[in-house]
Amino acid sequence: MTNEPTRREALSLAARGAGLIALGGVTVQLVRRAGADPIWQVDPARCINIRLGAVGMEACELCATQCVLPLSAVRAVNDYAKCGRCCICPAYFDVKSEVGPDGLPSRKLCPRDAIKRKPIGHVDPYDPLNNFYEYVIDEKLCNGCGKCVMACKEPAGLGSIRLEVRYDLCLDCNRCSIDKACPEDALTRTQNRSTLHT
Amino acid sequence: MGYRRIRTIGEGLAEREWFQSAIRGIAVDASRRLYVVGDQHLAVFAADGSFVDRRPTERAGFCVAVDARGSVYVGEEEQIEIFDLNGKAARVWRDPKHLGRVTSIGFHSESVLVADAASRFIRRFDGGGRWISDVVGEEGPRGFIIPNGHLDFAVDADGVIYAPNPGKHRVERYTMDGKLLGQFGRWGTGLEDFPGCCNPTNLALHPDGRIVVSEKAEPRVKLYDRNGGLTAHIPAGEFDPTCKNMDIAVDKDGLLYVVDTARLRILVFELAPQTPGAVPPNGTLPVEQGKEVPSP
Repeated sequence: MTNEPTRREALSLAARGAGLIALGGVTVQLVRRAGADPIWQVDPARCINIRLGAVGMEACELCATQCVLPLSAVRAVNDYAKCGRCCICPAYFDVKSEVGPDGLPSRKLCPRDAIKRKPIGHVDPYDPLNNFYEYVIDEKLCNGCGKCVMACKEPAGLGSIRLEVRYDLCLDCNRCSIDKACPEDALTRTQNRSTLHT
Repeated sequence: MGYRRIRTIGEGLAEREWFQSAIRGIAVDASRRLYVVGDQHLAVFAADGSFVDRRPTERAGFCVAVDARGSVYVGEEEQIEIFDLNGKAARVWRDPKHLGRVTSIGFHSESVLVADAASRFIRRFDGGGRWISDVVGEEGPRGFIIPNGHLDFAVDADGVIYAPNPGKHRVERYTMDGKLLGQFGRWGTGLEDFPGCCNPTNLALHPDGRIVVSEKAEPRVKLYDRNGGLTAHIPAGEFDPTCKNMDIAVDKDGLLYVVDTARLRILVFELAPQTPGAVPPNGTLPVEQGKEVPSP
């Protein structure tokens, strides 16, 4: 008699080994995912303030009102590469307001005056319409009410402003209160922080 | 004066005869044939809206125009394709320096005028496609501000160029040498004003001399006399609310053709007959509400 395994025993051992390796791989992946720290983020395809086609309605302000923080972790963000730098920006001005003495709308849109406007490049001091403007959102003032986002959306604007959860402010609640309130299910768990940083 | 819709072109056509993703430009010739560019082809329709012909374009077309000889010019990125629909092969003017993104083409005498939205210039070419001069543009007395990325214009028989300047909320008139002759319009919420961030976006000339413009958000079409007085309008309800950069064409009988860029249809409007005391179907306003401002 010899102690060497039979062919059947050898194949069985190999199969068990392969199974263990696969199980180990799956375990590593699960552990990695568990440590990936997914975050809440606004899905632009669902949020009615952002998504195309949802026009002619009031902005949804649930991101501003439902967050557990005193000032919501959701903020408006202007993508400068897309911004038209218009003189009469529909996100900055209330374009339904009366004409002011300077020929521009008499009221601003943001209830917290969180958007700052300044002419850029070669400035024509005599004709404000002859200039381009930079619009910067002051995140210390913005509460993510979404009014500017709705107003900037195509076709009225170019859709350069969107809502984002600021994950340095977000408490990562296990059950986000904005998510609970959002009728469009627009708050979603998404990539980990390191992915977003890169 | 009010306008009423009499026809919708695009309904009931076979898929291969129509457009699937975009309609960007239209033109009407003297025999009321309609030329349409979108997707990546040029299509021709008879006056009754029936399909006539279709040709692929090298690149996506942004505008189309027909000259007095019947040659069809399609404006594209960095080039103009010229089709002779009687069978000759297409010619191409390639000039990346002067034809960045061609969004409007017009003709006067032997010159071809071209709007290049990439550099915000209206330029003049000879009949052979050679650049002659920049007529109006960024370095001119005003400069066009076009957040929508579309620069439109029309030129009349006297060689006066009419161009919407949407970022400045006005319509400007220029000579063929680029001298600003005058302008009308202002930002405002009144019907005679140009609302929003940047209107009007598109422009055409009516055979009776009036200026036809389209606006976005809310999409509507308005007609002004040469002094800047609003004479008629087609209200927003006629178009999909997400429309923008709606191209306009006017035929020799005064029919208005307007692109609904969202529904991918071309709506045809005629002047509605009016009986004394009746409410016009598309609304009307007293004339002389706006006034042209002479050039500084």
